[in-house]
Amino acid sequence: MIAILGAKTIGGVSNVGRFARFVWQTMITSARCCARTGTYPLIWTQMNIIGVRSVPVIMITGAFVGMTLAIQAYDQLAGMGLEEHLGVLINISVVKELGPVLAAVMLAGRIGGALTAELGTMNVTEQIDAVRSMGTDPIRYLVVPRVLACLLLTPALIIYADLLGILGGYFISVIQLGINSRAYWNFSASGVELWDVSIGVIKGFFFGAAIAVISCYKGFTCKEGAHGVGQACTEAFVASFISILALNFALGVITKAIYNTFWPLRGLV
Amino acid sequence: MKKDNEKNDTPVGDGDGIIVLKNLTKKFGDNIVLDNISLAIEKGKTTVVIGPSGCGKTVLIKHFIGLLRPSSGEVYFKKRRIDNLPENELNKIRTYYGFLFQAGALFDSLSVAGNIMFPIRQHYKITDWTEVEEIVKAKLAMVGLDGYQHFYPASLSGGQKKRVALARAIALNPEVILYDEPTTGLDPIRADIINELILKLQRELGETTVVVTHDMTSAYKIADRIIMLHNGKIIADGDADHIRNHPHPTVQQFINGQVSEDDLAVLRARGTITQAQFLPRDFKG
Repeated sequence: MIAILGAKTIGGVSNVGRFARFVWQTMITSARCCARTGTYPLIWTQMNIIGVRSVPVIMITGAFVGMTLAIQAYDQLAGMGLEEHLGVLINISVVKELGPVLAAVMLAGRIGGALTAELGTMNVTEQIDAVRSMGTDPIRYLVVPRVLACLLLTPALIIYADLLGILGGYFISVIQLGINSRAYWNFSASGVELWDVSIGVIKGFFFGAAIAVISCYKGFTCKEGAHGVGQACTEAFVASFISILALNFALGVITKAIYNTFWPLRGLV
Repeated sequence: MKKDNEKNDTPVGDGDGIIVLKNLTKKFGDNIVLDNISLAIEKGKTTVVIGPSGCGKTVLIKHFIGLLRPSSGEVYFKKRRIDNLPENELNKIRTYYGFLFQAGALFDSLSVAGNIMFPIRQHYKITDWTEVEEIVKAKLAMVGLDGYQHFYPASLSGGQKKRVALARAIALNPEVILYDEPTTGLDPIRADIINELILKLQRELGETTVVVTHDMTSAYKIADRIIMLHNGKIIADGDADHIRNHPHPTVQQFINGQVSEDDLAVLRARGTITQAQFLPRDFKG
């Protein structure tokens, strides 16, 4: 019993160590690659695969988030006669929390799964060993372009999600539920600050990096066979999902502390 | 084209061959795959490593190129110790090698030409793409596949994939080519084409060749020297005649394709398969 517990603990610590080393190598190599123009075409290719092709699904996600929020919140606010404040609730929720988080979760499913499956298949068919055997660092050739593409484009995709979330909320609130358009936008403008939008977009850098690094790591370390690749994809999604939620909480605490430090009285307005 | 990294040939270690292993042991967990192996691979010769499946042949040649690190012992390439080098230093050493993987390991997302260009693009600053296309054409011509530049690996047969992988392996004009089971999975004619290619490349390029195989027809045809691995140790080492006449029973069983008495005893102990052991066709569970 103790031996099993000990072995599992050592295994867990070793895994954390291997992951930390992988992250460190990725960071160092990414920094070097930024100065080398030779990596740029690889990054562009991944940006197309990761970013451009994700736009429709991210926009759909954002739109439904905004519309659902409007439908759910209207009754409560209307009961208090505050239905014109619906815009503040929807837009601040979309740009600060739900837009970034749900867009990142959608990306973890769409991009994370694909990255793990692709690199996992390359791993079990010895293609990653082939890259190494030809004197090329697989982190530089395979991981860095994917991580940088994900890191740079997730914030841009969050802006798309925010935009469609705002439009979705507006469509339900104003067109379907008949809230006055001018009042809707006035309350929204007074309640949502540039800070709120920026927080959502900044979260995107962290979410994007986490999704890409976790997915690439799981692909690089997946076990042999179809089952191994499938299991790695599942583990990559679960780990990405949990890391998104954990990062969202941590960034929420940090940004709130920063906000209260610089603008201590704004919360009273 | 300009070379990105100049090769560093500073001799550090010692030894007689181009690749030297000293007391190399490799363990995976508690499983000892290679047990205190010492070996020197001669320059310009074809060395064939034989042995039963799972005996550690592939593990052995992966140490030559630093794809695996030994649990203990030392690996030298051109008298320079390489098993303790960091990855970026090993990457320079690896440009001396060509490695043909068992299943080819071609990049699915790249065309045949893209695969062969890959190592060239990684190590040279390309200023003239026509020159690179000429190199690709020449390498493909060497393996008899000129004209296949725009094909993708998915549309090639098993033998063609291995030939393209071979063209990729020789793209940087390596000094050593490592072949991992080059004839496995091929019919006898295609297997012989690969054997002829190995001989042709050795003749024309004069490089050092190490082939891992359990195909004895191939081994006898191409080998200057044959090494047999068993239970992590070298049990036979010599030319084809030496191996043919080797007194070790395991060597004779392997080269003649005979099952050992121990294995037969295990099979017999499990009983004779009779009709009673098969489920009837209308079995409902």
